[in-house]
Amino acid sequence: MTGKTSKQAMYLRMITASVARRKSRMLIALLAVVVGATILSGLVTIYYDIPRQMGMEFRNYGANMILVPADSTQGGMTRESIDEAASHIRSDELVGVSPYHYENLTINATPMVAAGTDLEAVRATSPYWYVEGAWPSKPGEVLVGLQEAETFSLKVGDKVTITYTVTGDDGRDAIEENPVEFTVSGLLDTGGSEEKYFFISQEDMESLTGKELTYNVAELSIQANAERLQEIADDISSSVPTVSPQVVKRLTTSESTVLTKLQALVLLVTIVVLALTMICVATTMTAVVTERRKEIGLRKALGASDRSIMMEFMGEGLLQGAIGGLFGAGLGFAFAQLVSTNVFNSSITFRPILVPITVLAALLVTGLACTIPVRNATNVDPALVLKGE
Amino acid sequence: MFFRMIRGMLTRQTGKMAMIAFTIALGASLATAMLAVMFDVSDKVNQELKTYGSNITVVPKESSVISDLYEVDGQADITKAYLREDELGKIKTIFWTFNIVDFAPMLDARMTVNGTEAPVVGSWFNHHLDLPTGEQLDAGITSMRSWWEIVDGRWLDEAKSGDDQRVMLGHNLAEKLGVGAGDTISIKGSASSGSYEVAGVFDAGGDEDDQLFAPLDLVQELSDTDGKLSSIEVSALTTPDDETSRQAAKDPSKLTIAQYETWYCTAYASSICYQIQEVITDSVASPVRQVADAEGAILDKTELLMVLITILALLGSALGISNLVTASVMERGQEIGLLKAIGATDRAISGLVLTEIVCVAIVGGIVGFGVGLGFAQIIGQTVFGSSIALKPMVVPLVVVLVIAVTLLGSISAIRTALRLDPVEVLHDR
Amino acid sequence: MSLLEMKNVYKTYGDLNALDDVSINIEAGEWVAIMGPSGSGKSTAMNIIGCMDKPTSGQVLLDGQDISKLSRRELTEIRRDKIGLIFQQFHLISYLTAVENVMVAQYYHSLPDEAEAMEALERVGLADRAKHLPSQLSGGEQQRVCVARALINHPEIILADEPTGNLDEKNERIVLDLFRQLHAEGTTLVVVTHDAEVGATAQRVITLEYGKVTSEDGDISFGKGSSAIK
Repeated sequence: MTGKTSKQAMYLRMITASVARRKSRMLIALLAVVVGATILSGLVTIYYDIPRQMGMEFRNYGANMILVPADSTQGGMTRESIDEAASHIRSDELVGVSPYHYENLTINATPMVAAGTDLEAVRATSPYWYVEGAWPSKPGEVLVGLQEAETFSLKVGDKVTITYTVTGDDGRDAIEENPVEFTVSGLLDTGGSEEKYFFISQEDMESLTGKELTYNVAELSIQANAERLQEIADDISSSVPTVSPQVVKRLTTSESTVLTKLQALVLLVTIVVLALTMICVATTMTAVVTERRKEIGLRKALGASDRSIMMEFMGEGLLQGAIGGLFGAGLGFAFAQLVSTNVFNSSITFRPILVPITVLAALLVTGLACTIPVRNATNVDPALVLKGE
Repeated sequence: MFFRMIRGMLTRQTGKMAMIAFTIALGASLATAMLAVMFDVSDKVNQELKTYGSNITVVPKESSVISDLYEVDGQADITKAYLREDELGKIKTIFWTFNIVDFAPMLDARMTVNGTEAPVVGSWFNHHLDLPTGEQLDAGITSMRSWWEIVDGRWLDEAKSGDDQRVMLGHNLAEKLGVGAGDTISIKGSASSGSYEVAGVFDAGGDEDDQLFAPLDLVQELSDTDGKLSSIEVSALTTPDDETSRQAAKDPSKLTIAQYETWYCTAYASSICYQIQEVITDSVASPVRQVADAEGAILDKTELLMVLITILALLGSALGISNLVTASVMERGQEIGLLKAIGATDRAISGLVLTEIVCVAIVGGIVGFGVGLGFAQIIGQTVFGSSIALKPMVVPLVVVLVIAVTLLGSISAIRTALRLDPVEVLHDR
Repeated sequence: MSLLEMKNVYKTYGDLNALDDVSINIEAGEWVAIMGPSGSGKSTAMNIIGCMDKPTSGQVLLDGQDISKLSRRELTEIRRDKIGLIFQQFHLISYLTAVENVMVAQYYHSLPDEAEAMEALERVGLADRAKHLPSQLSGGEQQRVCVARALINHPEIILADEPTGNLDEKNERIVLDLFRQLHAEGTTLVVVTHDAEVGATAQRVITLEYGKVTSEDGDISFGKGSSAIK
């Protein structure tokens, strides 16, 4: 077929010519679609990522699960049993584990309580600890709770001798005393009971007591909702018999209340923004198509059926919808990413499923937006349109 | 003639004008709703975060130094310091009184319950207060311990007769004693003793599971500590503390007057603590960092999130409006060409088209503003169960946005239309 | 049998009779001009002949088929298959090139054929302008593209509404020469105009006034035609 072009090829040629040569109008319509699609994909991505991202922020409240020895008469938990319990938590859920060994000690024969702990881990599990001065970083440094600092009149940089008394088997008679000098590296301000203790590293505690440490309690900060936490707790208590996990109800209950509200907020905002944007997109598309009444009249005069005109304009609208939707999906992800890095300092997971959804929604809106004005235009008498306004 | 032309456009091209007005209304309502929600979101989320309980504790001055020093029982320590119950109401008289959403007095004691020694806490449950300001408030631990799960029986209700002689037990203690709701237990304090009915057993998931909670008056009577309190828990809406406010709180007297006023008149946890100390004799109020800091972080994040979403929405509505305005001005290229052909100056044409569009924009903007407020209220009611307070800032922002966007959108399109040769436009494009 | 036959056609808009008992016969291969002042009803007649409008009453036979009672859809089909339209304002699709504009008519009619469309443009002397957009063409060139578009599907009637109304003298002559050529090849031409000079080139002039046929001249002279208009 020399020179013959198929109907489909001509159809494509007309549509692409319209898109390519009516630049300013096309740009307007395309811009409208891109904005709509960006908002759709961006907000939906954020909506789905809110629980994870915000959940991380709620870890600022500190440990939401604690491990205590299953049988307190048998002494504390070993490091191994704590680690084993922690291994039941997925690594992406676990924010931190800090074990505490509490010991009654004395300073100048005045009793006080000190905790030996993994100070690095504490910074993850208790981000709200406010330290005046510095966290202990080398052996022989101690962090002092604000109340105890007042009691013992301690300031940052002061030296203090902490004494461990080795008792006999009956736990009464002092057999031997082991004094060690510590430097106060910082004062701990929490507004809570932590201010009543001294904190030193596990290694210092071991050298002070001369025993291998067992722990009275371990604090776990886990990024999970209440049900998942309970699941983890059940899992640990059935597989690690030496420890007894307890969910900190105060945090989990409140967290689910607040998170639910936040997610509902973003959902509603998304719905309102989307509904309004989509209508905006539709009106713009409508305005752009309405402008072409004359052209529609001409095509009718040339013998185009209503159906083929509908097809051409829909085809054009859908082409814009597809291009705009694709762009918008990309831009929306970029926006979500921007929000995520700025607000939560973390990157967002890309959800491939959102691309087809965004494109489909864009197609739907542009399709609908074209239908009404094109139908109105095809109902007009071609003779009237061609005569001029 | 100018007005006649505008009137003609507005009244005879109603379809097109209605569409522009509609789009502007949509954009304006979107902007209004988002701005209104954004400006109020931190207050709303702050309210929600109150479920975490108090973020400020008030203790007697001496107690903060010597409490728990020898791990002695409260009753044995004769030097124990107390706060005064009659000063409680003063908490609601401080500068930031409206930010104090809840508070509960606490009186700790150790008593013998059914022969076993147990920690007893006297407090308010849902204590009804009629404040001199006319404000009404139900303060106490019913709302400040919202995470307690009642495993047996019910919450104590101070409005119910007879409940002033009932108590609540932590579930560990209840198990230890082998009692449940409805049972009667005997409590022996340092001053007197009596038998009381258990109203409910709760699971708090913490230390409180080993404690007995009773109405404040009852504990005071049993331990002969009439009018005395061990501590006060306060739940306040606060602005997250920053480094400067922390420094300021350490020694407010060192601040300049201007600094002091800024700090004092900002609802920092530290300045509210300072104000509480001013009204409660010999007290030390300190923020509970676990709650206050996390609250601060979450509030900051939520606000930032909403700001970014709002910016996106504003951009969306701005583009939506300017887009449509541009499209509708372009559509009138022929008309503009005609006006030019019959001798209108560019300025006259721009003036005409802009006046029309601005007229429409004003109508659309006002309608949109109203609708936007409606959307904001829907969001507020659905999510937070309370209405969104309209900050005055929203009005000028929306007005500026709508006018700027409409003008920008139409000016660029008018310029394009004016550049065209009238002959070309009139013939055919 | 005539190619087109209008029998006692009325077209009424409210109280106004745009066409008042009009009967016209047009034979195949004829070149007819319909003339008359503004408001004489010639545009209405053109719309009815061009299958873009239906008479209020009366019969219109095209190729022996009564088209006065057809639906809009059926009219569209007839228009597509049998009529080539030329307008005063050209009406080209602004974003399509000259050859593509011609191809649009093929597209709605049957199959687009670029070679054939090029031939048509060659015929109107525009082969070298085929890839230009309407905005890059002069008025005369645009109208010639319209002529090419009108004849591409070999219609039974080419219907032109003031085809030279927007053209200068030189372009007018080119277009009229094209019509003459088409006529010589046996194409039926109906030209609606109020320009006596254009009317004079036709074989036969039908004059309308107030919706009625006032003269139907088989072989008018230049002077006679022009006086009839006044």
